[in-house]
Amino acid sequence: MSEIKCNYKPKDIAGKLALIFLHNPLTPLLAVFLLAIGYLSLEIMPREEDPQIAISGGAVIVPMPGATPKEIENVIVKPLEEKIREIKGVEYIYGIAKHNVGIVNVQYYIGQNREISNLKLYDKVMQNMDMLPKNAMQPLVKPFDIDIDIPILTFAFYKKDPKLSDGEFYKLIRQIKYKINGVKNVSKTALKGAHKRQFNILVDLGKLTGYHLSMGQIMQAVGSVAKEVPEVKDRTKDKKIVIFGVPNAIESIDDVKNIMVANYMGSPIYIKDIATVEDGIDIQNFKEALIWTKELHTKPQYTLEVSKLKGTNAVFVANDVLALMEELKPKLQKEGIGYVLTRNYGKRANDAVNELVDHLLITIAIIAVMLVFFLGFKEALIVTFTVPAILALTLFVAYITGQSINRITLFAFLLSLGLLVDAAIIVIENIHRHLHEHDAVYKDMDTILVEATDEIGAPTNVATVAIILTMVPMAFVGGMMGEFMKPIPYNVPVALLASLLVAYIFTPYLSKKLLKKPHMHHHHHHFQKEEKLPPECDIDGGKQ
Amino acid sequence: MKKFEKFIYSILDSRPKKALVITLILATLAASVILIPTKVVLVKMLPGKSANTFSVYIDLPTGSSIEETKKVNECVLDILKKEKEVTDIESFLGMGAPLDYAGLVKGSVYKNSENVAEMVVNLTDKHERQERSYNMVHRLRPVIQSKCEPLKKGTTIKLIEQPAGPPTLAAVVAEIYGENNKERRKLAQKVADIFRHTDGLVDVDIMEDDIFRKYHLKPNIDKIQKSGLAVEQVQKILYLAFEGMDAGVKNSEEYPAQIPLFLRLSDETRRVEDKSLQAIKAKLQSFELMNQKGMMVPLLEVVDIVPVTNEPTIMHKNLRRYTNVIAETDLVSQVYPLLDARAKIIENLGKEYKIETTDYLFNLRLTDKKTGEVFDLKWGGEMKVTLDTFRDLGLAFIAALILIYLLIVVYYKSYTLSNIVMAGSFLSIIGVIFGHWVADLVTADTFFLTATSLIGFIALMGISSRNSILLIDFAKALMIEKHIPKRRSIAIATATRARPIMLTAIAIILGSALLASDPIFGGLGVALIGGTVAAVVVSLLFIPVLMDNAKAMDFTDEQTRSEEEFK
Repeated sequence: MSEIKCNYKPKDIAGKLALIFLHNPLTPLLAVFLLAIGYLSLEIMPREEDPQIAISGGAVIVPMPGATPKEIENVIVKPLEEKIREIKGVEYIYGIAKHNVGIVNVQYYIGQNREISNLKLYDKVMQNMDMLPKNAMQPLVKPFDIDIDIPILTFAFYKKDPKLSDGEFYKLIRQIKYKINGVKNVSKTALKGAHKRQFNILVDLGKLTGYHLSMGQIMQAVGSVAKEVPEVKDRTKDKKIVIFGVPNAIESIDDVKNIMVANYMGSPIYIKDIATVEDGIDIQNFKEALIWTKELHTKPQYTLEVSKLKGTNAVFVANDVLALMEELKPKLQKEGIGYVLTRNYGKRANDAVNELVDHLLITIAIIAVMLVFFLGFKEALIVTFTVPAILALTLFVAYITGQSINRITLFAFLLSLGLLVDAAIIVIENIHRHLHEHDAVYKDMDTILVEATDEIGAPTNVATVAIILTMVPMAFVGGMMGEFMKPIPYNVPVALLASLLVAYIFTPYLSKKLLKKPHMHHHHHHFQKEEKLPPECDIDGGKQ
Repeated sequence: MKKFEKFIYSILDSRPKKALVITLILATLAASVILIPTKVVLVKMLPGKSANTFSVYIDLPTGSSIEETKKVNECVLDILKKEKEVTDIESFLGMGAPLDYAGLVKGSVYKNSENVAEMVVNLTDKHERQERSYNMVHRLRPVIQSKCEPLKKGTTIKLIEQPAGPPTLAAVVAEIYGENNKERRKLAQKVADIFRHTDGLVDVDIMEDDIFRKYHLKPNIDKIQKSGLAVEQVQKILYLAFEGMDAGVKNSEEYPAQIPLFLRLSDETRRVEDKSLQAIKAKLQSFELMNQKGMMVPLLEVVDIVPVTNEPTIMHKNLRRYTNVIAETDLVSQVYPLLDARAKIIENLGKEYKIETTDYLFNLRLTDKKTGEVFDLKWGGEMKVTLDTFRDLGLAFIAALILIYLLIVVYYKSYTLSNIVMAGSFLSIIGVIFGHWVADLVTADTFFLTATSLIGFIALMGISSRNSILLIDFAKALMIEKHIPKRRSIAIATATRARPIMLTAIAIILGSALLASDPIFGGLGVALIGGTVAAVVVSLLFIPVLMDNAKAMDFTDEQTRSEEEFK
């Protein structure tokens, strides 16, 4: 039985691609390259649990001490709201008129550029400074920024050693905070529930009345001693600098106790006579943070929050900070400080991503097993290979376009997984069918492969474009939810296009390497009237 | 293969059989669609997500002290301590907890008063834990609320779960707009009462300051001037004595911050007995101020103490005064309790207000029958996001339909063939809805039709149109190239294409199997599985019937062989 080399002219892009790459020595190299860039993208891309939602907005805070809510509403909130209304792209304006302060919260439509929106808001407030009432203080414009505002790590520090003073505790935590701030890609660190050191002068009202003193006097007396003034920079006759100055007279708690307030009946009255003075914490700050665990029971704690810079990998930043904390542990131990890691978004993001990557792998394996049953081992192998190639290409495109790996991106992959093996299945199925068709005996392998690929090219293209078209309008869904789901309309079409390319390029190539024409005697198929060569197979021209 | 070909052919060859297929398909379509209005399949934007953490927000009435807040916090802590799965709890008294997605829109950052607290409850890892976090919250909520809320009247304790998708202020938010502060307050009370008596709504709260009593020390200007004092001085000294101020600083080189010298009356001497006018007077009795001449003037000589009520904070949204009434849902979708509450509002408040429906879907306008004052009730929070999302996804779906339609018209240059493909695609909705019904039957928790289900449905449109396109294309090729009669071509095409259609369907079903077990994307998985099954049935039975009936499908010519050859 002689084989005839046919010059099959592919009509569709599918056949053309198959033809080009069927004999190209670069094809296997291209496959390796694809897998490599995919793997690299998976490793480098920033990982996070939820996708970034570009919420832009901010708060304008205008304090006006002593004003009532109604007053604030009329002179601050209403005029401000009117002015902010003039900004384009603002969706909601929330005005809050409280005692002593007016706050206007501005929220832009989802998806507005954050930097420009912040500038617009700042501009508008600054332009209208003259409208603010006389006794209002400088307005504060505070844009909100999810990236920086939502900490990825929180630590609760507590005192192990009860003898450790609050002041010393605060000082040590501040040092840790400073060190963490130096870690690469850490943006903001903040303390919650921390109490600063403070000297408290607590005056006894009874004694005050007894000595006929006023609080104002004490205030004055303390203020006149505890002052910081820059040093004097004088010059000598020969123009050399001599520096001298009066330092702050308060060096210790005893200095405070011995401040003289007044004379009463000829004898001096000191602070210690009318007040208790302590080296303590800021008692006027009512805020307090506590921690409970089974081992510790309830203890006061200071929470240290760590945020990361936008666009950086939460997993890496968290690991770096945790490594630093591990390093500091012995020192903390020595000082009598313990800590509990109370939030780790880095781990959460990594777990979420890894779990989904596992799901992806399991799914690929299940599909591969299914294909072995229906198509045979080699065919299944070919289709299974296309999946990582397609995902790799999609991941790379996602990386190039500045996306991050998050739950939704991976769901987009899972969603497309069922769809993207389709192209390869359809191609391999058609190759399989053509190989087993009776006229296969006349044709050489290459022709069958190209022809089989080319045959289903047009309908597969149209059908894939149809699926892509269903995804495109989803990119225009507005609001939070639309923004949240964006990775799906962004990645599914890319994956589908990639699936077409990979199916057309690699499926015929791998088929050539792995599949063989079955040995079979040709027989009459019921709708084959007479033996004739396919019209596109020109025997004379084909014998090269 | 041959059998299936015969089977299809037998259907196509008989008019009553074709009619039966069409009626059956349309009947199942009707049966599936009816599951939505009859609430057999429930709708929700996003289902709950099991997390390793949840928060507790404690709100005491405005004007409560930090000590009272601490007491409520301890009460909650005592209950949570007994939970085996709780690893650690952080309490933040007088402020918000470190910001998270939920806190971002729930105003955590702005919390800065003695009457609030937030708690973060960390649990053991969700994979090693039996109980899902939302079930745990569901179980603990009534225990905590019934035990700790009565500690101080007017206290609300909310258990906040991490949102599965984008965060919202609350599941149900009724924004009540109206210029008259007092009347709006009253209406908000009534709406909140209705919420409290609606099944499925929990953590009901009115977002406004409570009204409490306070005192004004009204300066008697004449007396103040005569005694050589100034009003400003009175204000300042009073603040200094009872609240305290920094009198100076001690700068320290060994310490990371300046150390202020804080001056205030001692705690024993500044405390007032109780909240009565007498107690305030008694406390200020001995308080004296020094005038310009250095003489001491008793404070009570120059001021009159009058009890007043506080002025609550005024809130605006988009330049209108409003009050929020919020509620969370407990394991159920917010759609149905909201509709219940809305019906109750119309029923119960109908006596006092004339109620009309306004602009957007469920919003109401209430006009006071006596005064003619107008109040607007608009639904916000998750409900608005849900409606907006479903509306947008619906539009996206229609746009997708139109795009596919045009694409196929361009490809086949025939409207009829496009119609066939579209009909086939749309029918996958049968599988989507039945899939959810079955999923709801087999799972312990309610399985909702969610926004992700809709995405699945949209994706299915493309998948099932692919099946139809492959069928039509193959049948067309058989007719043109092999000169096989139309009916036989369709049967052969269906039988040949059945294999790849089944294969891709199985790939999708297996691919979505793990998706279906995910709390958030379960809807998508179920939609894909159910829809694909439906799509296979539709494309292998219904589409051939439609193709046979369509004139546009006729590509036969004089060369076409007779039907007899294939019998």
